[in-house]
Amino acid sequence: MDKKWLPALSLISLAVCLAAPIMRFLGKISSESYKLVFLAASIGWFVFATFWSRRK
Amino acid sequence: MAVMSGRLSSIVSQMDRLYEFDREPVSPDKLQSGGKFAGLFAGEHVAATEFVIGAFFVLHGVTAKDLFVGLLIGNLLAVLSWTFICAPIGIRTRLTLYWYLRRIAGPGLTIIYNLANAVLYCILAGAMIAVSATAVGLAFRIKTPALNAVFPSSVGWVLLTIVIGALFTTLAILGFEKLSRFAEVCSPWIFIVFIAGALAVLPRLGVTSNFRNFWEIATTRIWNGIPVAGQDKFSLWQVMFFAWFCNLAMHIGLSDLAIFRYAKRWTYGLYTAFGMYPGHMLAWVCSGIMVAAVGREMNPGLMAYESAGLAGVAGLLLAGWTTANPTLYRAGLALQTITPNWPRWKVTLAAGAITTVLSCFPIFFVKLLDYVAIYGLVLMPVGAIVFAEHWVFPRLKLEQYSAEKRGWAFNWSALGVWMGTLAVCFLMPIHLFFRWLPGYFIALISYIVLSLSRKR
Repeated sequence: MDKKWLPALSLISLAVCLAAPIMRFLGKISSESYKLVFLAASIGWFVFATFWSRRK
Repeated sequence: MAVMSGRLSSIVSQMDRLYEFDREPVSPDKLQSGGKFAGLFAGEHVAATEFVIGAFFVLHGVTAKDLFVGLLIGNLLAVLSWTFICAPIGIRTRLTLYWYLRRIAGPGLTIIYNLANAVLYCILAGAMIAVSATAVGLAFRIKTPALNAVFPSSVGWVLLTIVIGALFTTLAILGFEKLSRFAEVCSPWIFIVFIAGALAVLPRLGVTSNFRNFWEIATTRIWNGIPVAGQDKFSLWQVMFFAWFCNLAMHIGLSDLAIFRYAKRWTYGLYTAFGMYPGHMLAWVCSGIMVAAVGREMNPGLMAYESAGLAGVAGLLLAGWTTANPTLYRAGLALQTITPNWPRWKVTLAAGAITTVLSCFPIFFVKLLDYVAIYGLVLMPVGAIVFAEHWVFPRLKLEQYSAEKRGWAFNWSALGVWMGTLAVCFLMPIHLFFRWLPGYFIALISYIVLSLSRKR
């Protein structure tokens, strides 16, 4: 993967982590959906941010 | 006597070799930017224990107003303590507390200080392991210890803490530095876990999506001023003092000289606000909301799972591990002073074994607030002694660094003041959280008076 995308993908994952509870708070998604999205975005953060930090 | 003296000098030379790499004052080309300080403090103050501390304020019946005002003022006092007490000494000496204390109190007393630190670090890491154990225990239906528990309540809890302790210790042995880099990746995400968890459970507590009734819910369903059974009631003063002394050993106790020796100016102390307000205010508020959402049950694992699902549980585990890892390392470094020639892995294993045994005892986790108070209190007099020697002695024309100049192994005045202050603090008829403040002035004044009487 081109390393220039790693910071962007990491930050997008973190943004989704934050967006999921906001959507839950606003009642736009169910509790189960929020937990699933949060988990997926968290995995995304760890994958992309780990590669990003290695290449820095 | 000669054997003892030989043993002491052997320990001292071993200890000096361990800290050799930072023996010289930091040179100007090694100084760091303010941004680095902000990042360092922001990452350092969001730990697994934040899940417990914020929740305990709810269980101790703090009112919403007392919580917010207390945390605002208390954290401000902590930031000012770093800025006006720790950072100025750090930029003037450019030394770690270890080397500066060695000049003031002698190598013998520095060993005692290191050992005290090692024991305190092990207990702290043990509390982190216990908090993480509540997350794993959820999957195996192992009951979290009751708030009045001292000894382990079940075989399951003992096995769980031993397995997690062994895992954390093994990882610390395998590679502290690589894991520290991974901890940097974890840090912003763990902070998001707190925010996400609190936001997601607000509707369950009755907060509407326009946030208009937040204060009403906060004052009636979260920080409603009613303590749970068996917990004493906390006021604004307890909250304020707790936020102030939570890192007492680091600011007033001066162990953060190790960090501030790299600062360009003393005003860099203000960067600690980047750690205090997100970590010791926002995260504590979030964990308070989370515990209210699970019916005020002190179970960090349940709080994390209910508010953020499996990611929340992972967040709690990682928060425990990323903070236990450097704590185990520091404990190992401090323990190495009495285990000459032991390799790094063996010392870390010993620190990990002690920590794991301690983590089985739930008292360190369920009485975490009291332990944090004791931790700061025990090391605080050393900060007062160094402060007196650094700032007051030159003004009173008292000789500085007597231990170094006269080759003393022990500065007996310093040891007497340290132990005497702790004895007086132990007997003080006031709440544990408040004892350190009069204790600090007792240590400061008695060390100056003893030094003046020696001069005469």
